[in-house]
Formats: sequence, structure tokens, C-alpha cells
Amino acid sequence: MFNLFERRLAPLDSPSVVVTSTLGSILLALAIGAFLFIPFGANPLLAYVSLFESSLGSLRGFAMTLNRAAPLILVALGTCVAWRAGFGFLGFEGCMTIGAAAAAWFALVGVGEAGQGIILPALLFWPAMLAVAFAAGGVWAGSVGVLRTRYGGNEVLISLMMNYVAIFLVQYLVSGPMRAAGNLPQTDRFPTESWLPMIIPGTRAHAGILIAVGAAFLVWLLISRMRVGFELIVTGLSPLAARYSGIDVGRRYLLAAVGAGGLGALAGLVEVLGTQHRLMDGLSGGLGFIGIVVALLAKLNPLLIVPVAILYAALSVGADALQRSAGVPSSIIFILQSLIVLFVMASDFIRYWKPRLPRFGAATAREERTDA
Amino acid sequence: MLPAVELRGIVKRFANVLANDHASLSVLPGEVHALLGENGAGKSTLMQVLYGSYHADGGEILLDGSPVHFANQRAAIHAGIGMIHQDFMLVRPFTVAENVVLGLDGELQIYQEKRGVLDLAGASRRIEELSTHHGLQVDASARIEHLPVGVQQRVEILKLLYRNARILILDEPTAVLTPQETAKLLETLRSLAAEGRSIIIVTHKLHEIIEVADRVTIMRDGKTVATVAKEDTTEAELARLMVGRDVLLRVRKSPMKRGETLLTTRGLTVNDDRGNEAVRGIDLSVNAGEIVGIAGVDGNGQSQLVEALTGLRPVTGGQITMEGTDITGSTPSGRKDCGIAYVPADRRGVGSVGTLSIEDNSVLCNLRAFTGKFGLFRDRGRSRSHARDLVARFGVKAPDIRFPAGKLSGGNLQKMILGREIMQHPKLLIVEQPTRGLDVGAIEGVWAELLKVRDSGQGILLVSAELEEIRNLADRILVIFEGRFMGELRAEDADDETIGLMMAGRSGKTSGKTRTLTHV
Amino acid sequence: MLDDFALGAFVVTWLAAGIRLAGPLLLAALGEIYAERSGVLNVGIEGTILLGALGAYLVTYATGSPWLGVFGAVAAGVISNLFLAWMYVTVMANQVVVGVVFNIFALGLASYFYRIVLGTSGNPELIPMIGSISIPGLSDLPILGPILFSQSALFYVSIAIVLIAEFVLLRTRFGLNVRAVGENPRAAANAGISVVGIRYICVLLSGAGAGAAGGYLVLAQIGLFRDTMVVGQGFIALAIVIFGRWRPIYAALAAFAFGATDALQLSLQLFSFDVAPQLLLSLPYVFTVIAVSGLIGKTAQPAALMEPYRDR
Repeated sequence: MFNLFERRLAPLDSPSVVVTSTLGSILLALAIGAFLFIPFGANPLLAYVSLFESSLGSLRGFAMTLNRAAPLILVALGTCVAWRAGFGFLGFEGCMTIGAAAAAWFALVGVGEAGQGIILPALLFWPAMLAVAFAAGGVWAGSVGVLRTRYGGNEVLISLMMNYVAIFLVQYLVSGPMRAAGNLPQTDRFPTESWLPMIIPGTRAHAGILIAVGAAFLVWLLISRMRVGFELIVTGLSPLAARYSGIDVGRRYLLAAVGAGGLGALAGLVEVLGTQHRLMDGLSGGLGFIGIVVALLAKLNPLLIVPVAILYAALSVGADALQRSAGVPSSIIFILQSLIVLFVMASDFIRYWKPRLPRFGAATAREERTDA
Repeated sequence: MLPAVELRGIVKRFANVLANDHASLSVLPGEVHALLGENGAGKSTLMQVLYGSYHADGGEILLDGSPVHFANQRAAIHAGIGMIHQDFMLVRPFTVAENVVLGLDGELQIYQEKRGVLDLAGASRRIEELSTHHGLQVDASARIEHLPVGVQQRVEILKLLYRNARILILDEPTAVLTPQETAKLLETLRSLAAEGRSIIIVTHKLHEIIEVADRVTIMRDGKTVATVAKEDTTEAELARLMVGRDVLLRVRKSPMKRGETLLTTRGLTVNDDRGNEAVRGIDLSVNAGEIVGIAGVDGNGQSQLVEALTGLRPVTGGQITMEGTDITGSTPSGRKDCGIAYVPADRRGVGSVGTLSIEDNSVLCNLRAFTGKFGLFRDRGRSRSHARDLVARFGVKAPDIRFPAGKLSGGNLQKMILGREIMQHPKLLIVEQPTRGLDVGAIEGVWAELLKVRDSGQGILLVSAELEEIRNLADRILVIFEGRFMGELRAEDADDETIGLMMAGRSGKTSGKTRTLTHV
Repeated sequence: MLDDFALGAFVVTWLAAGIRLAGPLLLAALGEIYAERSGVLNVGIEGTILLGALGAYLVTYATGSPWLGVFGAVAAGVISNLFLAWMYVTVMANQVVVGVVFNIFALGLASYFYRIVLGTSGNPELIPMIGSISIPGLSDLPILGPILFSQSALFYVSIAIVLIAEFVLLRTRFGLNVRAVGENPRAAANAGISVVGIRYICVLLSGAGAGAAGGYLVLAQIGLFRDTMVVGQGFIALAIVIFGRWRPIYAALAAFAFGATDALQLSLQLFSFDVAPQLLLSLPYVFTVIAVSGLIGKTAQPAALMEPYRDR
């Protein structure tokens, strides 16, 4: 391979090349994905059409797409905050789980019937609910930040491991202290006041997407307009330069960790209050990783994250529908989604390397001479 | 005599520079050959081509008269070429023996290992033989991370000898050495040449060349401009060839108007990254309106001293005050607040963020001044006009202020950084190696700016390894050696020889007696 | 309370199960040690284990020979990791991202092929497994016999691999090269070692290890394939590597500790103790977090871990 390609003197980094290579990667992934439909007797082209028709073509489908996009957006925003600051956080599965648990706890005590818990008026309930979940995730991820800044631990590995601690913790909660009467390890159904309100009549679209889009705006404000956001970016690009210019690098990592954890926890909140309405095991279902992928496809740009996440969600909602109607396994969508990302990353190869054309007449390279 | 190695018309192009422009070099067996040139002249690149690290875009390499092509370093090592890089290529957690045998196998093997199983005991015996034979004492079982740099360099030399290299390339070998270690090294090199090996020393230090080299090849702007025998040349001629013009740099200084005391330190001690004491009890004061120069060989504690003064490194003892206020424990931003600005030696890694625009970089050290009310949001309008001022006032050549700072040339980047710090109107400016790697024009520009700062009544602490720079700019000169000041000289009293002796660890006050050195 | 006999039975059941559970973790961790020692964090082993399991199942299903299944598992691991190695080493993409995305890809691929091969009937057929070997004499020893000497043949192979891996890493030239590449790739390259080559080999080794781990799950533990059968074993292997301080022998001990904790909650349930099994299960992870947090001294992490090497 090293004889077939040689490194370019400078990488191609004009916007047009980046856009072309990204679009090319997506098309290539879709083209390869097309073959996956064939064994199930589906016409790939029609399959793709019906994929998006069911998720974007009807109001009902679009509502489902939005519901699925909301947690993805939040996790992707968390990725954006952490990774822009150079904090390689991978603990969103854990943050979602912790956030969901905190939301569940607050839903169960915050609006109980009289005598069963603290009763809050609706006006206070939602801000308090968001704050509780955000704080829970923030503390959870913040501890990773502390281990990194104070003791020099590796945040990538720590946050990966913390995912499992969180998952087991919630398994314990739903099968012990918070378990409802019954056979399944899960909590009671939350009181309906604590469910996320529906926003499109006649569909199941809930307010999660509003939380997500609001958060996207705030993260955009932070990253591109605020001093602290600029400091985060400088920290991520060059910790040495950040320290030199008077930025407290440790605090910025901590801030990034807390922000990322809080956003991840909100994703958990949206899942549990919007869709499931009770806390049970296995809630994150890989969203904590897929959200990272969305953020990367959106080049860690908070505003770009929203449409990318919606497209991503549309793919998976469509695939579910296709599985129900045509028996095509929805796992195709995992292949498709990951191929897109892998190809986009691999397309960097073309930006950095060019094919080596045979040069005629050039002296043939020799490599002998071993006497010493 | 047939040259042991010959480079003919080597061309090497990088993204935006022509590093080697038809460079040629020929080295005889048994010769010590110096490759002389300023920073950035293309010396290291040429040697990397010879060592197989880079592929040349043109030209050819001949060993003993026959052309060769090295696909990688391995092929070069096979052909008997060895290279010691400026930053040593040693694996720190490994032992000396492990480092020495690293990469040896197949035909390079000296003792036949059984099926790829390491024989470190055998290697250690061989290392001991070599080290006694060449007078390079090392403990083969010691870990590199526990060895001082002088010994690490011995390990690097032993590595080459173990491979029986016939052509030894040393890239700036004396940069991290004390004068004593340097003398020892040059002696070793002479004895290796006497065995018939060819030695190439890459350097920008004139006086060392004169001591040891048989012939000198001078590089400038990627070209090899001349090769001369030592007997036929003078330091002055070499300098002229290297810089490309006759006069050495001189500046005109106005008389000093010394103001009140700004910065003082008392008994300052600071550790380096490895926890060894790098600064050992330093007393220093800088007044307004003067330039205090700290001269010394790299690695004698000056970087740690500066980092301690700017709050980037904790002190282990002593006190730092600024205008009478104790700032020993304050943060980097606290130091900025009391009027200390800093131009770091590493322009691209520390002083700027390469992917950010000139505009963003121009506000880097003073972010709070470019925010709106409450300091929450950035005020882009102000930062844009600030960046335009900076570019205009300090003559930074760039298409516009959105241009990424990392794509500026070294000289323009330094102007931007220096300008940024000066425009904060600091009371004290600390500058570290301000002209390293810059061309002559840029050096003159930087010097002029520094003198302007001094004349406007601000204080400057100048840390530099270039004697010429120190002697031209400083009003008072302090010489640092192994973390201590060897003495203080007034600019008028300073000559290269006195400073040189002090840099070698002899106290200025007792210049008659030689202090015995206890260097490990 | 328990009498002596019941206690003995408990300990034997527990430890024997612990060792059985440790086998796949151990194989995946051994491969990962080589990858990380060369400077590549291969998070993709989770997905590779799944592909290895699929490979083992399909080959055994087709040929009827579980030993050929092992070969299929290793082949699946190596082939899939060739792509990973290309992404890590040549494209120099962010290693963590590639690994994470690859895991999603592998999950999709495994369940897709599973559906194709087995149709939608939903009931996978059992395949022949690799049997246990009772070592004559030793297996009759009290307590130790049933724990150590009546395990699956694959277990003994794994133990042999641990010893080989330790020897190769610390005592051979190849091992020295791997360690040098992971600590200081530039120094290694300047000594004439091909950093790219070593890293490719090490990622492929980790693919082989993870693939074999998947084969172990199918051929020595379960006897069938489900696309949900790999739940975090790859990430546990990452933890084991850290806990084992990047050394094969220590990693083996760590794998047994992880296996034993896992088995403990099973056994406790079996003997109806009242301890929350989830908290027990989370203990290994808590310990791993502590091990890698820097709280207890410097970690033994290779200096160039996760840093792509750009030569020339």
C-alpha cells in the first residue's frame, strides 16, 4: 500500500474537498448498504424510499423521529462540549443512566399525591427537574474530570469503566430500593404530571426535542460567543498555550466534564420521562455511543448536530418500520450508520495521500549494499 | 581519497518550504566534518535524508563511490550510518542495554541470538567492552530515565558503536552539554575519527567547529554554500558565510534610565519535571527601564526559572515579589494582573494556537479585556480592531486577520506574539530565546522592539543562549550554570571569554581559581 | 448456617465457574495487551468478539468440527481487525472513535448474518462444543481438581498462551520492539524498527485474541450463537488490561478475579444469600477506575498509547 500511495505535501483541506469526500462517503455507504436488502427480496431503491417515507413522510413517523433524535442531540452536544475542550469523555451511557435515575427519583417524589412526596407547582417542577438531572450527570462526569486533573488519570478509560458502574447501580436501584411491586425489576409508573408534555397533537412527539434544540442553542452560544467557550476551545487545541495565556486548564476540563455529563443526563431524562415513563434496566441502549458518532459526523458543531441527529434518527425509525413490514432486519441500520462514519473518517486517507503514478524513465530505486 | 559518503544535489521539499535546494556534501574516511548553518538552514533535513528518514525529491547519495538509496532508517543503519538526534532517541523506561540492542536483528546482529530471544547479558558484556575501550562509562543495566543527559548521550554513541557505524552523524550534540562534557565529547569524536570513521557534526556554534573539525561545509537557505578546510579559514569568514553578509549584528543603545525595582526573587528553588532541583537558590532583581540578560547553556535551569516567574511551575522554596508584593503563590493570570508579560521560547507550541486565527491569538493572553459587560461574552468588534492594530503596528505579514497563526513564518509569528505582549503595556516583559530560528532581518526587528520597550521605561528580563544577543541588548548580564548564578557583569565589562568561562561554571568573582566540578 | 460440606461445595462451584467465565476475557485481554503495548487502544475488541463468535458458530455449523470453529473465530477476528489496523495506523483516525463505531458495525453485521443464515425461525441450532478434559490424577484432587483440572480443553490452551505471551513480550526481540514502539515510536523508527509494521501485527494479534474469545464463548460455554451474547466482555477485557498493568501474567490473574466476581453473584444466588448482585458486579469496574485514576501511583500505561505515528 505504501508503494501505491504517497503522502501529499499538504493535506487537501479546502471546503469543497471536505464536502465532496463526506458526500462521497455517505453515497458509498448507502450503495454498499443497498446490497444488504437483496437477500430479503427487497428492491434497495424502494427500500431506501420507504425507509425515509415512514420516518419523515408522515407526521406520525416524523414525531417518532423527533423523539428518537432528542437524546441523540443531547449526547452529541455533550460530546461537543467535552471533546472540543480536549476531554476524551466516553461515559455517556453512564451519564444517561444516572440522569434517568435522578429524573425518575424526582418524578416519583417531586409530584406525588399528597403525603407521598414533595409537591411542586408545575412552574417550578420542570426547572427543578432539569436541574436535578443535570446536576446528577454533572457530578458523575465531574468525578472523572477530578481524577484527570488532580491525579492525572486517563479519562478515556475511566469514563468507559464508569459506564458499567452506572449501569449496575441502576440495576441495583430498580431491583432493590426503587423496585415496584411485581415481577419485573422496574420502578412504578411515574405520575402523568411528570411525563414530558406532548407537543404535536395527534402524535406522540414529546417536549424532549424542545429541550434538545434549546440545549443546542445554548451550547452554540457557549462555544462561539462566550469567553469561557473560547477558553474551552483553546484548552482543547493546546493545553500548553492555554496555561501560558492564563487559562486555568484544570478548571476548564472540569467544566467540560460537568457540562458533558449534565447534557448526557438530560438525554437520560428525555428517554425516561418522554418514552418509558418508568425506570428500568438497559435504558440507554447504546445511544450514549451513537450520540458520539452523530457529534463526529456534525464535526462537533452544535448547530449541525441537530439536523444530523434527526437524519440519523430517521434512518433508525425507518428501519424499524421496514422490519415490521418487510422482514428486513433493522440491524441493517447499524451497519449503514457505522459505515457512513467509518467511510467519512477513511476519506481522510484521500486527503492526506495521493495515488503514486508510475514515473517512467526515473532511475529504479536500489536498496542493496550491506557490507560493513 | 574516495569519500566515505557523498551527497549530490539533494532536493527536499516540504509543504511550503524548500528545505534542501541542491545541497551537496562529501565526507572523507577518518574525517571530522562540520555542517554549519543557522537554525532553519536545512542541515537537519539533509542529515535526515542521509539517514533514510526522509526521501529526497532529487539528487543522489553515494557510499564509497557507489550510489545507494535508503528506503528507511533501517537501510541506512545497514549501510553503516548512525545518527544521534538533538533530542535523544532513547526509550526512557528501558535499560541502557535494551536501548542499545533495540532494532538489531538479522544481519545487524553481533551476537547471534537464539530465535529472536533477547540476550541482554551478552549485550551488556559487549557494551562494557566498548565503553572501556572508548572511555564512555555507563551502567548497562541502568534505566535511561534515571540517567543525566550527558550519560544519555554516551548511550547514544555506544548505540552507534555497537552497530559498528562507519559514518556517525551528530545533530547539535553540544546543545545540552556543559563545556566540560562538550570537551569530553569532542575528544571522543577525535578518537573515533582516528579509527577511520567519518564524523559529521551538525551545529550552529562556531567555536566548537574550530576546535574539532577538519573541514566545514556551510549551509544557508537550504543550499550548501561552501566547503573549507579548517586551516584555510577564520571564525569571521565562517560567520560571514553562515549569515550571508559581512557585518555581525550591532545595535545602538541609548543610555539606561533605571527606574524603581520591579521583580525580585530571594533564594528561589524550582524542580524540573523529573523532580530534580533545576533552580538552586537564585537571587534576582529587575528594575524598570533596564534589560537584564540571563546567559547560559540550554538546560541549566533557565526555562524552569522563567516558568516559576510566570507562575507556570510551582516553586519549592524562596520568594518572588513584584513591586514589593509577594506573588510566590499566585496563578499565571495573577501575574499578568500585576503587570508581567511573557514571550515564551516555544512560539508554536506555547505562545500561540496554530489552528486559530491571528485575531483569536491576538487576544489570547488578555481575554477579559475583550469581553462585553460582565465578562461573559466576547466582544468580536474590539478584538478585530485590536488584531488589525497589532498587525499594522508590528508589521506582521499576513493576508488578513482571519489567517491561521500556525501558517505564519517564524519571524512573523514572533512579531505577533511580541506585539501582543507589548500592547498589554506590561511593567515587566520576560522574553525567552526571542530570536531562536529567525533570520537576520527578523532578529533586528525583534531587537529594536525590545529596546523600544526598555526605553519607554518598562523592565525586561531576557533569557538567551545566544551570547551576541545578550551582549547587544542587556544592561546587566547574569550567567546561569546548573541552576545558580555564576556572577553578574555590566554590559561594558562583558566579553565573550569571561561570559564563556562563567557559562562553564567558573565563578566570575574568583576567576583565578578553577572551581572543581561535581557533575555526575 | 452452612456446614463444612456445603461451604466446600460452594467454593468449588464458585471458583470453577469463575475460571470458566475468565477464559474468553483472558484471551481478549492478551491480544489487547499487545495492541496497547504498541500504542494502539483497540476499543473494537468488543465487536471483534462478537464477529469471532459468529465465525466460530458458522464454521462449526457447516463443518461439524468445533476445532475448525476455533480457526473460524480467529480468522474472523484477524480479517476484521485488518480494517481496524488500517484505520488506526494508516489513516490515523482517532482510535477511540474508530473502535466505538466498529463495535456498532459489528453488532449490525453479526445480527444481519445471523438472520440470513438461520432465517427467521428464531431457534438457533446447538452445535458440537469442545469438551472438558479431566487431567488424570490431578482432577481427582479435592477442591483443586474440579476447579483447575476439569476445565474445557480451550482453558488449558489459554493458559499456555498466557505463558507464551508473557515470554514473547518481555524476553524476545519482537516483544522489545513492540514495547519500544508503544513507549517512543520515533526512537523505535530511528533504530530501524517499522512502527507501522509492528502496530499492524499487534492490532491483528488483538483481533486474533478477541476472535478466539468469541469462539470460546460459543464453543466452550454456550454452544449456540445469539447476536446479544456479547455484552461488555470487550470492555471488561480493556479493564483487565489496565488492572493487569499491561502484563500477560498479571492480566491472567485479573481475568480470574473478574471471572470470580461474576461467578460469585451466580453462586450466591444459587445458595440464596442475600447480597445485591449488581453491586458485587460493579466492584471490578470500581477497582479498575481506581487502578487507572492515578490515585495509587503512576499507571504503567504505555507512553504513546492512542498517539498516531506519522513517519516522514
